[in-house]
Amino acid sequence: MTLKRRELLSFTGAAAAGGTLGFARRARAADPIKVGFTTALTGPFNEFGEGYKRGIEIAIEKINKAGGVLGRPIEIGVMLDDQLIPDRSVQNMRRILDDKSIVGLFCPSGSGPTLAVIDMIAADGRPTMNPQAQTPTVIYPNGPGGKPRPNVYTFSIQNDIEANFMATLLAKKFTRIGLLNESTGYGKTGSELIKAGIAAANKDAVVTNESYNQKDQDMTAQLVRVQRARSEALMVVGLGADMAVIRKNMTRMNMTIPFFTSAGGLSPPYVEGAGDLAAGTKGSQFKKISTVPPAPETKEFLDAYKAKYGADRLWGTDPEVPTPSMGGTVATGYDGMLVMADAIRRAGTTEAAAVIKAMDATKGFLGCNCAYEFTPEKHHAIEIGDLTTYEFVKKDGRMTLVPTAI
Amino acid sequence: MEDFLTLLLAGVSVGAVYGLIAIGLNLTFWTTRTMNFGQGSVMMLCAMLTANLIARGWMQGLAILAALAVIVVLMVFTEMYTVRPALKIEGSMGWAVSTLGVGIILQGCAALWFGSQAVAFPDVIFSAVDNVVIFGVHVSLQYIAVVVLALALVVVFELLVRGTVWGRAMRAVAMDQDFAAVIGIPVRAIVLGSYIASGLLAGISGILVAQIGGTVDPAFGFELVIFGFVAAVLGGMGSTPGALAGGIVAGVLQQMVGGYISSAAQHGMAFALLILILVVRPQGLFGQREINKV
Repeated sequence: MTLKRRELLSFTGAAAAGGTLGFARRARAADPIKVGFTTALTGPFNEFGEGYKRGIEIAIEKINKAGGVLGRPIEIGVMLDDQLIPDRSVQNMRRILDDKSIVGLFCPSGSGPTLAVIDMIAADGRPTMNPQAQTPTVIYPNGPGGKPRPNVYTFSIQNDIEANFMATLLAKKFTRIGLLNESTGYGKTGSELIKAGIAAANKDAVVTNESYNQKDQDMTAQLVRVQRARSEALMVVGLGADMAVIRKNMTRMNMTIPFFTSAGGLSPPYVEGAGDLAAGTKGSQFKKISTVPPAPETKEFLDAYKAKYGADRLWGTDPEVPTPSMGGTVATGYDGMLVMADAIRRAGTTEAAAVIKAMDATKGFLGCNCAYEFTPEKHHAIEIGDLTTYEFVKKDGRMTLVPTAI
Repeated sequence: MEDFLTLLLAGVSVGAVYGLIAIGLNLTFWTTRTMNFGQGSVMMLCAMLTANLIARGWMQGLAILAALAVIVVLMVFTEMYTVRPALKIEGSMGWAVSTLGVGIILQGCAALWFGSQAVAFPDVIFSAVDNVVIFGVHVSLQYIAVVVLALALVVVFELLVRGTVWGRAMRAVAMDQDFAAVIGIPVRAIVLGSYIASGLLAGISGILVAQIGGTVDPAFGFELVIFGFVAAVLGGMGSTPGALAGGIVAGVLQQMVGGYISSAAQHGMAFALLILILVVRPQGLFGQREINKV
């Protein structure tokens, strides 16, 4: 058999191309799987961004130590700082989305920045984990119970879940409730949902709802309105530093009604600002992260965190047990990274549609905060049973959060 | 009645701080027709330095004095290197940009040195739990201390301006810088002094507000300066009693609107007041109409 010149040339060309492709395939197999995110790495709310960045890094170290995913290591391809400012989040996310080597994304910290970028992310279609934003419309654009954005999964406590939890507890015990919220997406949706929850649980309940701007230095006017309504308890949807201002203001006015906060308030900035006045403050937070003794998967994370950062500010005041807010600041990033890596492994590829399909089939994945389960209709995982109520108590000279009943 | 008194006292207390900031803005306006738009950052830096030094174990009084000393140096720099060069160009508004620039740089430096998170500010004079009962109302001693201190500072300031040679020299510079220089008044020193005094008032205001809120962060002070500006315009630019009155009116009105109408409308109130006064009485409550003869 003789080969014609043209056949020989095409055979040689095909062989060369095949060899090159094979080489390229081998090179790609060793390429890292990249994730990207923009978050508040600096600025007044950097405990959130810095926290979830740490969580992702610890998860990546664990994954790579075990050989990576699909034989490839995972790495943070792009990490940008937005200081929790929505405009910056949009600019940063545009840059990240333009980088086609990024396989998976993480939403920014906070509802405002996340809502600002979420449509871009949804249009892009790459699998995206939401570690911290609590507003339900991040995941369910038409509200809880609606259809989720196909590529976005949340690891945070959704406002509706927290609101139901707190509203049911408050409505059981009080009929006149003061409700204060910061004037952000988180604060507004949180208080609307709590109001609705209280109304559903107790139709005789009277709710006095007031708002404040983040960083306000005086809340007398809001508190006077709550006091005038003869409220028996005060619930605040906001963050720690503002919570300290409110607590001090209440003390100055000799306002002694029980004080409750959303998960965002039970955080280190609150104790630092309010000091001993924080004692008695109650609120909802993640249950599993502070459970003693910790579950094996939680212990593995906690040991890794402590070895790397020690019992620092994000860990809290008790060197043995982490503060529950660590579940939201650090562990949601850790869990998000692990669940995403698991989905890529099950999909057998980094192709977006296949990873999303695998994410939708996630079942019983044991994370630090809960057992994760996603379906095409359900893209949130934290449920009421994953939360519990805590109270600040002064123990051994330091302010500690202990599980309590309302 | 109880609500009214609570709101009134909180309004007077917060308003007195606005008044102090307004007096600081007035001071530089007198001598150079300029204002330090970085005043908010001066407040922040003084409060953050104080909090940090106290956290490092310094005595409170010493920490405050050290922070104020830093502010003096900062204001000398601001006047010499950001305002004075800009004023060499007649009609230039460069000073507005340069003072704002200094403020932004200070914010960045504070974030770098102290971190960008809110830091706890200790109770300086009284704590939040200290209060007295007047007419059945719990009145915070922190609020009373702020009002008393602000009033005392205004009185001392007025005595200095009206009763001392330096005060008279300052008024002369305010009226006509060139003529003041001709008759031998050290105009440069007076201008520099006005910037230093303005910075000191801002620093003290920062400490007073921070101890009420309980925390301070690098972004602290910006909004307060806007309210201070409203107080200065409301009282009449250049008038010390007017600045204090303007601050108190703005503070009380904010609290009353927040307490009786809507807490959401509270912040917009100061700006509504600013627009109203500019339309109805542009010279402010205590200011005098300026007449230029041609």
